[in-house]
Amino acid sequence: MVFFLSQMVNGLTVGAVYALIALGYTMVYGVMRLINFAHGDFFMMGSYLGYTVLVTFLAAVGLPLWLVLLIATAIATLGVALLGVFVERVAYRPLRRSGRLAAVVSALGVSQFLQNAAMLIWGARFQAYPPWAAPDAAWNIGGVSVSLMQLLIIGISLMLMVGLYLFVQRTTAGTAIRATAIDHDTARLMGINVNSVITLIFIIGPALGGIAGVLLGLYYRQIHFTVGWSYGLKAFTAAILGGIGNIPGAMVGGLLLGILEMLGAGYISAAWKDVMVFGILILLLIFRPTGILGERVAEKV
Amino acid sequence: MKTERSRMSRMSVSANSAFLMVLAAFLIVFPFFVSDYWIDVCVFWGINVLLGLSLNIIVGEVGLFNMGHTAFYAVGAYTAAILSQRFGINMWVLMLLSGVAAAIAGNVLTAPIMHLRGDYLLMVTVGLNEIIRITLINNPFGLTGGPNGLIVLDQFRVFGRVIQSPIDFYVLVWGCVALLLFALFRLQRSRIGRAWNYVREDAVAAESTGINTRWAKSLAFMIGAGIAGATGTIYATKMMVISPDSFTFAASVSLFAIVILGGTGSIPGVILASGAMMVLPELMRDFAQYRMLFFGLAMVLMMIFRPQGLWPSTRWSTRVKGGDAE
Amino acid sequence: MSGSRSARLLVSLALLALLSMAQFARAAEPIRIGLQAPITGPWAYEGEMARNSVQIVADEINKAGGLLGRPVEIVLGDDQGQPQQSALVAQRMISEKVVAVVGTYGSSVNDPAAAIYERNKLVNIAYGSTAESLTTHGRKYFFRTCFRDDRQGEFFANFAADTLKAKRIAIIHDNTTFGKGLAEAARRPILAQGKAEVVFYDAITPGERDFTAILGRMGRTNPDVVYFTGYYSEAGLIIRQMRTLGIKAPFVGGNAAVNDEFIKIAGIDIAKGALMTQEPLPTDLDYPESKAFVAEYVRRHGEAPSSPWPVYAADAFKVICAAIEATKSTNSDVLMNYLHNNLKDYPGITGPISFDAVGDREGAIYLAYEVFGEGDFRPRR
Repeated sequence: MVFFLSQMVNGLTVGAVYALIALGYTMVYGVMRLINFAHGDFFMMGSYLGYTVLVTFLAAVGLPLWLVLLIATAIATLGVALLGVFVERVAYRPLRRSGRLAAVVSALGVSQFLQNAAMLIWGARFQAYPPWAAPDAAWNIGGVSVSLMQLLIIGISLMLMVGLYLFVQRTTAGTAIRATAIDHDTARLMGINVNSVITLIFIIGPALGGIAGVLLGLYYRQIHFTVGWSYGLKAFTAAILGGIGNIPGAMVGGLLLGILEMLGAGYISAAWKDVMVFGILILLLIFRPTGILGERVAEKV
Repeated sequence: MKTERSRMSRMSVSANSAFLMVLAAFLIVFPFFVSDYWIDVCVFWGINVLLGLSLNIIVGEVGLFNMGHTAFYAVGAYTAAILSQRFGINMWVLMLLSGVAAAIAGNVLTAPIMHLRGDYLLMVTVGLNEIIRITLINNPFGLTGGPNGLIVLDQFRVFGRVIQSPIDFYVLVWGCVALLLFALFRLQRSRIGRAWNYVREDAVAAESTGINTRWAKSLAFMIGAGIAGATGTIYATKMMVISPDSFTFAASVSLFAIVILGGTGSIPGVILASGAMMVLPELMRDFAQYRMLFFGLAMVLMMIFRPQGLWPSTRWSTRVKGGDAE
Repeated sequence: MSGSRSARLLVSLALLALLSMAQFARAAEPIRIGLQAPITGPWAYEGEMARNSVQIVADEINKAGGLLGRPVEIVLGDDQGQPQQSALVAQRMISEKVVAVVGTYGSSVNDPAAAIYERNKLVNIAYGSTAESLTTHGRKYFFRTCFRDDRQGEFFANFAADTLKAKRIAIIHDNTTFGKGLAEAARRPILAQGKAEVVFYDAITPGERDFTAILGRMGRTNPDVVYFTGYYSEAGLIIRQMRTLGIKAPFVGGNAAVNDEFIKIAGIDIAKGALMTQEPLPTDLDYPESKAFVAEYVRRHGEAPSSPWPVYAADAFKVICAAIEATKSTNSDVLMNYLHNNLKDYPGITGPISFDAVGDREGAIYLAYEVFGEGDFRPRR
């Protein structure tokens, strides 16, 4: 039982990170029907930006730790959001009328570019977040070890996800996003500026990825320019698992994927873990072809 | 409208044949002027053309998003390696066997998921690719050699000549490309080819005209996977060593990119795009660590300036285009 | 005004370039030696260090007048850590008519290239490919300056049983050719000797960050010692997550775990006391060659190479040059025979170098390293 509970805590932590990244995939997909393969690399850039801010700018300024972390996260998030908007302008907008597949290839090109740019800027070696930055506190509750970073990751992710859900459901901007997701042309006729909506999407998605990147760096301390690719694949799997285009679906998919991975590795075999994860994904899709919660985007038959 | 369309397709036929003639002339003359290294680059180009064409049947002709094509390629390569190691079967027979093995895998693995729509199918094929790769690494029953992979000692023989040097492989690979092109052009004009295109354009309408869409899709997967599997045999004898590292998700992604970069459904497009994906990074070797950066940039630029692909297919209608919604 | 000045500057620069080219043309044709390494891709860092190291040796040789009165030149081939690229690089080396090749880093990447070099009779000396399988195919032109996995595996088996007195051993690898190879090489002698048992054996997936699940499962088997045979990036995470889970068994890493990043990722409090099975690091070698080499590397790049492999690349390059010098030949067969039969205890940066009949380096030296509180690796006393 203790072992099971530990695995659940670990699974929720990993899943929360997947969910944050999956949200970026799902929002872009919901509005643009684009699988943004560069999204994982936004997340990676967030990790690196947070690292640079911490190491170069804030190391010497004796501010309290929570403020330092807040500033670093804010700058990383802002940086990645700007990058997201820029990438959308340059690499996706010119292709909006020319087919989904063209934009997919463009996204692959962006991904390749960002990875190699990060390698050239920060070096090809692994970088480590400074040990003073990450809170080390951990508790042992009845044999289950829970660390402060784990609670932070789970808490912050849940807050962001709920906040995003309310934003999309309750605000005018959120309504515009939903309307655009259903049909660009109708949305336009109703006076919605589709370009601004897409820009907004490319602020929110990458920003969430950026936050996830900093949290990942603080939790595991180790970052590398290829991290976007592996986490991106998992997060995309999570988005599909929950039902792509569906915001609660990304959350459910992410958390579920994290837990599945941990239980698979914990009880059966770590070497076969990913086979089990993808096997479950395929089985699920056979019986529920649009994911657990289904697709929210309106269907045109 | 009808005459317009047929004139278009006549034009494209003549443009296609002009392209193929130029390509053939180039391929015949090229080896006389370059080093073995560039011939080898062209061998891998040819292998990528075979793979790209086989994927093009699935993605281009039928419109099924398959981003795990190297899984079938891996099945073929490993079938050839395992059988040649254990039983020393003639390579040409093996090529056929591994094609059949991959075709069966293509049928069995995709049968339950054929009803999935676009992006879900894409994710599932990615999952299949990962499942196969990880299985190869985990060395089930000691068959696949784990991460080390397998050594392939046998080679193709043509009239007693062992296919070994770069120029031998060059002739073999491009000979196979020529055969495949001939078959594909026949296939496009056949009933099956037309059925595929109906399914792609409008599955519901196709069903109502009496086409069994499920069968049409399965057939595309089987043929595409089979060709990829047979190509795997060539790859195995060319590399002499195969390991799971060659059959990654990234390799599938770049195959997918080849089909779209070329112009979905376009045969000359696949040839051009796989050439570009192969030759560009080679030409950029002088940039050392900057070269993959420029390569990524080149991919974006190519799509922006030629969003329909390098050589758009006239047989691929505008219905699937239009970015806003399906 | 300024326009004409810059034009003049350009003209004189062009003249200078022409003059130096003329100079170059008059000098003897250089001897070209290949370096196949991952310059881009996930192992780019290793490739970069190998390139730096080989460059130092080449510069030294050229400063001393070159080889046989000719300068040496490095022909760089980037294999991206991918098998297909590796085969292409190999073919390019052959077309470029290099005399011999240094390379490459990864074992499964090395295999296709070695097969092509063998067929074209080109001496190739690997510097980071330690998988046993590479020297089991009877290749004549393949050599390596690094040591084989089985020697390290055996060292670990003895170290764990005799020095650490371990009865229950857990082994984790990373499913790469190298990591799995070393894990197998360690498991075999443990099982054969029967002094201890392997209570846990499983693999992680490289590139992931969270290993708590597999470590939790391992913890339930109560191991006396944990051997991780993968790379430093994952090793740092594993030891930290082990300690967080409350697993107190000593952590032993393989030689790919030795890297300053290991300590940074784990944090010094946790990394302290971690053990590594490892060839002597360049900074711990007492040979004058090693001291001079490390000093020069630090002068150029501000720090010593952080892994042992680049130094093996430098040694491979040195060995090739020594063979050319000694035989006064650039013929591949002559070089191959010399390396197999005549090269004995060549003073390399990593110690004396001789090759056995299959091209493996003789006389493996392994030490157990320990991480000390000051944040450095030192041989365990």
